[in-house]
Amino acid sequence: MTIKIYGSLVSRATRNLWMLEELGVDYERIDLDWIKQENRSPDYLKINPAGQVPTLIDGDVTLSESLGINLYLAQKFGGGVLWPDDDAGQARCIQWSVWAAGELEPAVYPRVYEFVFKKAKDRDDALIVKLAERTLPLLDLMEGALSASAYLVGDAFSVADLNVAGVMEYLDRSDFDIAQWPKTVAWYETTYGRAANQKVQGERAPVAEAMLKRIVEHSRSEG
Amino acid sequence: MIKLYGSNRSRALRNLWCLKELGVDYERDDRDHVSGEIKTDAYLAINPSGKVPSMTDHTGGGDVEMFECLAINLYLAMTYGKGTLWPDGAVSQADCLQWSMFSATEVEPHTVGALMERIFKPESMRDEAAALKHLEQLPRAFTVLEGVLGKQSYLCGKAFTIADLNVACVAASLHMVQFDFLAFPKVSAWLGACSGRPANQDVVAGNA
Ligand SMILES: N[C@@H](CCC(=O)N[C@@H](CS)C(=O)NCC(=O)O)C(=O)O
Ligand SMILES: N[C@@H](CCC(=O)N[C@@H](CS)C(=O)NCC(=O)O)C(=O)O
Repeated sequence: MTIKIYGSLVSRATRNLWMLEELGVDYERIDLDWIKQENRSPDYLKINPAGQVPTLIDGDVTLSESLGINLYLAQKFGGGVLWPDDDAGQARCIQWSVWAAGELEPAVYPRVYEFVFKKAKDRDDALIVKLAERTLPLLDLMEGALSASAYLVGDAFSVADLNVAGVMEYLDRSDFDIAQWPKTVAWYETTYGRAANQKVQGERAPVAEAMLKRIVEHSRSEG
Repeated sequence: MIKLYGSNRSRALRNLWCLKELGVDYERDDRDHVSGEIKTDAYLAINPSGKVPSMTDHTGGGDVEMFECLAINLYLAMTYGKGTLWPDGAVSQADCLQWSMFSATEVEPHTVGALMERIFKPESMRDEAAALKHLEQLPRAFTVLEGVLGKQSYLCGKAFTIADLNVACVAASLHMVQFDFLAFPKVSAWLGACSGRPANQDVVAGNA
């Protein structure tokens, strides 16, 4: 049975689409339009009671949590490649994925809201400063790791890199300059620039642009 | 031998609970996270984030070194808890990954946020409005848990697994900030059952 992934190209589902493209497994993407509240339909709430995307369905397995889905996919289809063979490597893949979820995402995701959805004059500058303070030590930590090896877990690309880069894209999208962390810059360019991700991002770009327009119109009509 | 860095007054408590459940031997480095003991070069070589917990495991010649408490628990369960904390079967194992991430993304940012604003910050710097904003985010996650626990005793089914441990160890701190569990009776009972396990009670009492 083909794997199904629920979520649009403008959602955290892109992290999973990137992973699926890396692995070269067949999948079907099911877009849910959140402006039309399709993520709140009774049928969808049966597979994702929070009404969030993404959700993955693979046979008996129904999963939410984008970065957890990627760990699952890497273990199932990426043994020896995206999921390293050794215990030490596997431990680090889990570590960086949890770190991306619990430390990095809360520091960088709110920036997107401020920079992409708000007009310059409406931004919460105090919040932006606070988020930057939280982000600096996280980038220092990455820079240290990437000074010791080309990728976060040794010298090969793994689910750790994909999960961290998939969250770091919020810095990129909100004009956060990371030039001070040159190893991280180089790693991000190589990692985020991988063909599998570029394919997803290429499909995403026009959809994102159209959606942003709709969001602006939607918020106007709501007053 | 496994070595765990951090005291039971820090997030290392979560790992001590897990180790005690597994019944594996481990060595403890009970260093304090409010002094400079976690910013020394020797410690930063083990955990460059300069936080606790961290764990090393050189059992059988391996060289595992890692940080992030929920990740350490997943590793311990996968390595030492096959068939118990790390259940058999692809569906349950996938659920353990999902719930651990759910704990990290949907629960912990808000429990920590509320604890900071109500307890950890010096009184003059606390922001009650911010505390409330965090607490208001939690019912959504708790509604999801309530639904699952209405159908089964534990998050992966009939038995206690790392999924329960990783969510309960984060949610347990909500008792300190008077979170209202009234609307979530199943979650409240499940949390009591998890926290009440002898392994956790021992660790909290400092006997582990
Ligand atoms: N921790 C979850 C978060 C999922 C999430 O918040 N998804 C957003 C879209 S990217 C969503 O569904 N928002 C709609 C809503 O919250 O109602 C994950 O990483 O998958
Ligand atoms: N995301 C990390 C957070 C670790 C953390 O913040 N630990 C605290 C103690 S509970 C700490 O070491 N604080 C001292 C500091 O940051 O300097 C985890 O879950 O393990």
